[in-house]
Amino acid sequence: MSLVNLRGRAAWVFEEDDYDIDLIVGVRNIKITDVKELAALAMADYLPDFAAGVQKGDLLIGGHNFGYGHPHYPAMRAMRHLGIAAVIAESFSPGFFRGETSMGFPLVSCPGIRAATARGDALTVDWDTNEVRNLRSGQTLMLQPFSESERGMLDAGGLIPYLKRRVVPAS
Amino acid sequence: MPQTMTEKILARAAGRPRVVPGEEITARPDFVIAYDFPGYTDVFFKETREDFGIEKVSSPERFVLFIDHMVPATAPKEEELHKITRAWGKEQGVPVHEREGIGHQVAAELGYATPGAFAVHFDGHVSQLGAFGTFAFGARKGVLESFVTETLTLTVPATVKVELTGTLQPGVMARDVFHHMVRVMGPASCRFKVVELCGPVIDAMSIEGRQTLCGQAMFLGATTMLIAPDAKTLDYVRGRSKIALDPVYPDADASYDSVVTIDVSTLEPIVVIPPSPANTRDLKDYTGVEVHTGYLGSCASGRLEDLRIAAEVLRGRRIQPGFQLHVVPTSKAIMAAAAREGLIEVLVEAGAFISSPSCDYCFGRIATMSDGQRAVSTGTLNTPGRMGSVDSEIYICNAAVVAASALEGRIADPRPYLAAAREGVAA
Repeated sequence: MSLVNLRGRAAWVFEEDDYDIDLIVGVRNIKITDVKELAALAMADYLPDFAAGVQKGDLLIGGHNFGYGHPHYPAMRAMRHLGIAAVIAESFSPGFFRGETSMGFPLVSCPGIRAATARGDALTVDWDTNEVRNLRSGQTLMLQPFSESERGMLDAGGLIPYLKRRVVPAS
Repeated sequence: MPQTMTEKILARAAGRPRVVPGEEITARPDFVIAYDFPGYTDVFFKETREDFGIEKVSSPERFVLFIDHMVPATAPKEEELHKITRAWGKEQGVPVHEREGIGHQVAAELGYATPGAFAVHFDGHVSQLGAFGTFAFGARKGVLESFVTETLTLTVPATVKVELTGTLQPGVMARDVFHHMVRVMGPASCRFKVVELCGPVIDAMSIEGRQTLCGQAMFLGATTMLIAPDAKTLDYVRGRSKIALDPVYPDADASYDSVVTIDVSTLEPIVVIPPSPANTRDLKDYTGVEVHTGYLGSCASGRLEDLRIAAEVLRGRRIQPGFQLHVVPTSKAIMAAAAREGLIEVLVEAGAFISSPSCDYCFGRIATMSDGQRAVSTGTLNTPGRMGSVDSEIYICNAAVVAASALEGRIADPRPYLAAAREGVAA
């Protein structure tokens, strides 16, 4: 398995810097463990029918230091369940970045992405050329490449399969 | 080639002559530290065995576990988690420290804060071991790698040197200094970097104050924060350190990502307003705001100097009727020392509720707030819902401010109380 190039719509553009991702499901809901229940609540404070409108492969766009604070896992669990394939942001908070990368979920640092994207725009991410392209405007931005282990985790689908590859080398 | 403390510690842990920022390395942590928490330790134990077939972790002497959350348990499920932790520790030969205090503090007391050591945890507040010159890093679920492989892969962070100059005014504490740093430098200023702290303010600061500063590193975006060991550090760790290592110091001409100098001479007490730890404000702009509960504790504050200053404010006074003041010493050792000093008596007589050490007040599992309530807190975070209802509010401040606010039922400046107490002593 390997990381596949992405193509999806910007399901949401978070305008805020230092965005606390707990707000995605609402702090009151972060202890919910049922992923369907969480997914139904995602972004309900922003747009009541957000969950219904997401298509598999859609993307989220964020600002600087996205995921600041104590980033709990329910927000992105909910988003993955809805079909969100990645978050592309100006930059990420380290704890959030490490946590989601270890889940095999791509967090793509891409300076300039927020200003270059409107909600609903179709975007592609090419992991070989490190390019993010806005298909509406034609604008291309460069993403910041992953480290070897980050890329390894994303290729493998998360920390556990990645470690299995390292600990038990394929014969 | 000159190196920062971070580069030296990581180079040793990676078994290399040197490492450079941006380079990915596989390093062997000297210590793998964790507290039991659902979805973390219980899952690590299971995955280590079931996914990797590891019946026994190698070098169990590097591991240490703390039971500091859900203490005491309030539901059978919580106690079940603790049983799993105790059983795993016994089976693996890994020490489990229970009811001794908040793990990040107890880790230092037990000698896991060895200067020059590399320590990992899933929780980022472990960075407070940096007060002792330990590179301590919160890798979240990435810590599983250390359970399985004895190592951790990480990118060597660049280092930001922050020099704190001047002299702190009375009533201004490490807590104020940290949040002032967030205000001046910005909450994203040190993303993926390490902060090495130095300067006359650090030299004069207690070990406890340094722990407070280093433990909050994540709110600058930093991977961790470090202070070069001095005589105070070496006195503290002597006879405690779990392993023999030479302390590590930065080279005078080490290369830093940036150097920031902050003069704190005119700094006054601050308050961090909801909903984010990024919202540092001057206390004077918020005095008079009605508050209903106060929390003095957590891994960030709740040490002896915090209890002492609170007792100074509260001695011979009574807190507002109806105000709930919760004082939770950070460790058993601190609680015992506070009792010997008579601080507990002063706090109790003023109307405080004293609890044995526990992490549970910090995240609202105990002393939960209801809709519309407001807290002054020395906890780590002020996100709505952190201490109960999402419609309650948390104002982060230093221990003296918590105490003064408890007297008035409003956010209050502790300095008049401290001045009165200090004049009383002089007279």
